[in-house]
Amino acid sequence: MRSSISSNIIKYGTIIALFLIFLTFSIIIPGFANKTNLLNILKQIALLTIISEGFTMCLIVGELDLSFANVASLSSVVVAGLILKGVNPAFSILLALCVGAIFGIVNGLLITKVGILSLITTLATGIIAGGMVYFYTKGVSFYGEMPQSFLNLARGSFLGIPSLVIFMFIIVIFAHIFINRTVPGRHMEATGGNRLAARLSGINTDLYKILGMTFSSLGAALTGILLTARLGSANPEGASGFLMDGFATALLGMTVLTVGKPSPIGTFVGALLIGILNNGMTLLGSPYYVQDITKGVIIILAVTITSFQAKRLEGG
Amino acid sequence: MVVLEVKKLTKEFPGVIALKDVDFQLMKGEIHAVVGENGAGKSTLVKIISGVYPPTSGKIFINGKEMHFKSTREAFKYVGVVYQERELVPYFTGLQNLFLGYEIKMGFFLKERDMRFKAEQVMKKYGLSVDLDRLVSEMGSAEKTILTILKILFRNPAIMIFDEPTSSLSIKEARILLDLIKNLKKKGVSILYISHNIQEVLSIADRITVLRNGENVATLEREYATEQKIIKCMINKELREQYPKIPRKIGDELFRVENYSNDIYDFKNISFYIRKGEIVGFAGLVGSGRTELAKSIYTAVHPYRGKIFLDGKKLALRRTSDPIKNGIVMIPENRREEGLFLDFSVEKNLTLPHIHSLKKLFLISNTLSRFKALRVIKALNIKASNVYQQVKTLSGGNQQKVVIGKWLEKYAKLWIFDETTQGVDVESKTEIYIIMQRLANDGCGIWFISSDIRELTAIADRIYVMRNKEIVAEFSPPYDYEEILLKMLGGGKN
Repeated sequence: MRSSISSNIIKYGTIIALFLIFLTFSIIIPGFANKTNLLNILKQIALLTIISEGFTMCLIVGELDLSFANVASLSSVVVAGLILKGVNPAFSILLALCVGAIFGIVNGLLITKVGILSLITTLATGIIAGGMVYFYTKGVSFYGEMPQSFLNLARGSFLGIPSLVIFMFIIVIFAHIFINRTVPGRHMEATGGNRLAARLSGINTDLYKILGMTFSSLGAALTGILLTARLGSANPEGASGFLMDGFATALLGMTVLTVGKPSPIGTFVGALLIGILNNGMTLLGSPYYVQDITKGVIIILAVTITSFQAKRLEGG
Repeated sequence: MVVLEVKKLTKEFPGVIALKDVDFQLMKGEIHAVVGENGAGKSTLVKIISGVYPPTSGKIFINGKEMHFKSTREAFKYVGVVYQERELVPYFTGLQNLFLGYEIKMGFFLKERDMRFKAEQVMKKYGLSVDLDRLVSEMGSAEKTILTILKILFRNPAIMIFDEPTSSLSIKEARILLDLIKNLKKKGVSILYISHNIQEVLSIADRITVLRNGENVATLEREYATEQKIIKCMINKELREQYPKIPRKIGDELFRVENYSNDIYDFKNISFYIRKGEIVGFAGLVGSGRTELAKSIYTAVHPYRGKIFLDGKKLALRRTSDPIKNGIVMIPENRREEGLFLDFSVEKNLTLPHIHSLKKLFLISNTLSRFKALRVIKALNIKASNVYQQVKTLSGGNQQKVVIGKWLEKYAKLWIFDETTQGVDVESKTEIYIIMQRLANDGCGIWFISSDIRELTAIADRIYVMRNKEIVAEFSPPYDYEEILLKMLGGGKN
């Protein structure tokens, strides 16, 4: 209330940062802003965005998920294993998605009906998923001939746009509309916003917590499947890197527009920011560890802004 | 000698002026009471003096020095506040709690013997005693209060503030505490005593300052203060104006509870009824089970025994959403924790129970949703700059109206209002009374829980008194104020 300029800077801070970083890279790196590279950036962030949108759903119902990366690895090896055994690709995909859904439902039931903290629940189920990956693969990667139709899920393109990018936009738009314009979406938001008030408004909060956890695991499963399609193979640690980046993306997303609240669009902006940083710094030739340090610093800066804003509002 | 002087203190929050040009003084060794209704500005005053928030304008002097507290930590040295919720660590002993944050140590090591010695010294000085080795979780509330007071006395603050200290105590415990406070005064402690209980204040204070709508309306010497005088200062308007009456017809029976028993909340064979157009008050002390009774029915806590009828139909309440589906809604006691989605906009809060009806195909229609919100905002006179304003930035009265507003147009038959006027400014209170009566006029039944007997006797058509999880009496107008109070306390025996 004190000054609308400073509150606007906080509100649009992450977007301004995104814009400035983009501008800087465009000036100092020739060819950064051309169509090929921009599509390349979108392609690079597609899987991260999809997995993070799922994770955002569980943040929206007020829970955490530490299992999504391992669930993604599991579905990645499951789909690869089944296809290499000659199972129909569509059926394999369905089964891999089911694996994800089961993890989500179990997570949700443990959190709501048994009452274990989501952090602990998903830590445990994540370890279980990791164990199942090694049980299934015996620690070796799955290689082999996969049908082109399956590989095209991640390698194909439509009207010059890579299919991964199309998948990503479908998921982002779906998530955005689901949360903002549908009844279950609104009820999920209410559950995370104030569980008690939601219950007293007649909302079945347990159901929506389970739904949020299930979306998180389904997003992970879909990511795992697309990962296998992109690589044409699956390895046991394939998706483990998504855990940190997924958290980072969603946390950055919580600094976008409605500060402190997870949102599908915010998460997309977060993924974009991380993608542009990665791409630009790689083109500049900076080693991967410098990129990690930069990412960490940016997350701390963004979250600092969020907590400042939260404090200011509480102080009246 | 003046210990604390407050000059022209003003505090504005978005949409409300909580304090307006308040002047007042606290003398050395005095008990100065500040009284006023809920929302009169008492707690805002305490929070400013103790550094929780800065004033919008005005000055604070302690021992003649102007103070600009930037934090509670800074104010600690001068101002000790005993809050309603005592800030103690349950798994620590009395001694560990006393020195928490102010431990006597040598290097990294605690000097327990020195701490114990100092604790005993201070206890002796003020004539207090508490078992230093007992865990706080095993202490009674009186003992916890003493511990809290001791913790503050250690810092030797210039003034001590008691903020509604007796509100959660039993009558016996309250008496002990009041004696203790008088004793502290004899030892030279300067005390600011905040309360809305006039009797209590008259028994303890040297001077009494009355706040109304954020303004200091009078400071009375004890000798000249009477209950009537104080009440007159507290409520400027005539009683009739503050509690406007809308004439209405009371119809047939709407809601009946027969022999309701619930082991989870310890209710046994509770029976009562509410008629159409009737406002039924539930009086009782904190802990008498009024809120629990309403909540156990509203959230369908089960298993329960007994019968519940609404509009002649027997209800089987199994799921949390069943009562709402049947037309029972509740405005819960703690609006911030149980009624509102603080981060959400006014629109989202108001439309939440209705979104099924605001859909076009699968999607929520923004236009319908906005219209709906605007309609409720207008009907209840909610002061918000637009429908997208976050509810946490609204004033208490307007937040409360949002909680009520979300159930409007839901065609609810029975409305449960639980302490709805608490922490709400006088103007909004009156508006809430009008809303309740309008709903009753439309044929709804109103189940009105309140700790404010004055408001109950003014608004309710019938009053049940609860004590120890039982309905112990039923009253009809004209009400006998004292008799109701007596029933609440347990026939005057305690």
